[in-house]
Amino acid sequence: MALLEDKDERFKNLFGKTAVFILFAALGIGLTFLWIEVKRGAFTAMSPIYFVADSGLDLNEGMPVKFSGFKIGKLKTMSLDERGHVQVGVSIESKYLDLIRQDAVVTLKKEGVIGDGVLEISKGAEEKPALVPGSTVGFQRASGLEQAVIDVKNRITPILDDISQLLHDPQGDVRQTLSNLREFSADLRKTIEKLDHVLGSVDQNLNQEVVPLMRSLRTTAANAETIAGRLDKQLPELLEKADSSMESMRVTSESIRDAVKQSAPQLPEIVGEANDALGKTSRLVDDTQSVVDSLSSSWPFKGSVPEPETGPVRMDSHD
Amino acid sequence: MTRLLLLLLPLLLASCSTTPPSRLPATVEQARTSDSDARRALTDGDPVRARKYFTKTLALQQSLDDTAGAATTMINLATVAHQLRDDEAALSWLDRILQEKANIYPDDARLTAAFRKAVILVDKPLAAEADTILKLAEQLCESKCESRFSISVLRARLLMLSGEMKAARSLAIEVSSQAAAGREEQANALRVAAAAEESMGLMTDALQHYGSALQLDKALGLSSRIGDDLSGLARVSAKLGHEREAGEYSRRAHLVKESRGRMSDVIQ
Repeated sequence: MALLEDKDERFKNLFGKTAVFILFAALGIGLTFLWIEVKRGAFTAMSPIYFVADSGLDLNEGMPVKFSGFKIGKLKTMSLDERGHVQVGVSIESKYLDLIRQDAVVTLKKEGVIGDGVLEISKGAEEKPALVPGSTVGFQRASGLEQAVIDVKNRITPILDDISQLLHDPQGDVRQTLSNLREFSADLRKTIEKLDHVLGSVDQNLNQEVVPLMRSLRTTAANAETIAGRLDKQLPELLEKADSSMESMRVTSESIRDAVKQSAPQLPEIVGEANDALGKTSRLVDDTQSVVDSLSSSWPFKGSVPEPETGPVRMDSHD
Repeated sequence: MTRLLLLLLPLLLASCSTTPPSRLPATVEQARTSDSDARRALTDGDPVRARKYFTKTLALQQSLDDTAGAATTMINLATVAHQLRDDEAALSWLDRILQEKANIYPDDARLTAAFRKAVILVDKPLAAEADTILKLAEQLCESKCESRFSISVLRARLLMLSGEMKAARSLAIEVSSQAAAGREEQANALRVAAAAEESMGLMTDALQHYGSALQLDKALGLSSRIGDDLSGLARVSAKLGHEREAGEYSRRAHLVKESRGRMSDVIQ
């Protein structure tokens, strides 16, 4: 060692200096880790709370537990018991236990429509005693988007079935109206035939005023028959279109349900975009209507547009 | 030069004959547009939006001192409120016309307001108040106004409410035979006649009149009234011992009413 002894003053006590440097570095790293752990709550007093879930679906270890929107703990353990239920243990910061009552309920929710799952613990009834470590609380799942769509579908489908039944039932009121229309049309045809017969047999020397009157009557009846005939032709087509539209709606309703099951995370975005598009369409329609209104009240279109209704809105003795 | 003038002459004449009218003041146009928007909303089945636009129309009309227009809009606001089942608001709008001491509103507006108030009161049912206000409507109408048949049908309903079935039936049958009453009021009259006959035990007549009302209501496509007609037919058929027909009418009435109710729920 003596051979390697350095005479330079700067290298004196080099070992000691290096040791102090390393010690300070290690201390700094240690303090950083300590600070991180303090921030992560490693030294915060936690209390275990338990609940039983019907299934472990959507529950994950480390999932945050929130109270009034603040994170107060996390899901620590999950295990399947002998009855097939899931025993879940969450740890909650002990200082918050006083705020939560023994009848509190843990609810599995989504943060936003497509956000991560989160456990929200309710406060419980004010008169109940505060929660103690090791207590067991209730658990429920919040209705998700899928459930909402299924609810809507369940409400719409019976309506569609009823309408379809109303349209298809031969004794139904819609079909009956159509039938009445046909009868009306047939009666008109008979009337025209009778008028033709009378017109043909009228004496040419008879009062000249009678013939124009009867001709006018025949024209009126023929016009009415044309309208009735058109309705007779168009109504069944309309009814068929209504039938097919309803079938399409039912198929769409089923498709929505399947789509939600398979790709629930994507659906809200699609719904959002669709809403956005609908909003834009609505504004466009309003704008177009304003333009049409302005044009219709301006020269030279004003003359060809019917006068707007100005009197009181209709209301009869039974409204 | 002469040829050019001759060519221009038809154009000058054409332009003179189609002179564009002077534009209305902006507020009048705004009021008309708002009124049209409200009516369109009502046609689209959106009474809440209709109420918003009618309220705007009223403010504009009042700023223009257009009392006749304001009276019409107040009647429309009352009609919309009645549709929204807010009868207190509806009566309040109508009272603003009827209780105006300065007599600034036209008689036809007061007549319409009186008639509509009477309809709402009969529905509640407040027979005494309805009778007073209906008498005012009859007095303003003098059996000459357009709504005289509607007033008569309402009078028949009021008579029924007071237990005067025979008089109600007689008046309703009289209106139902008048083509000038229009098919809606004829159907209403037939329904009133049928209800009176049902109360009087004249079941065969009631069956016939409910059936006639049903045919008219079907032609008009008035689903709520079709439901009422079918319910009436079901009741009368059951009283006549026609159990099968009663069951069938009852089923149809239930279908019509339930579909209507569900549709309303979905729309709301």
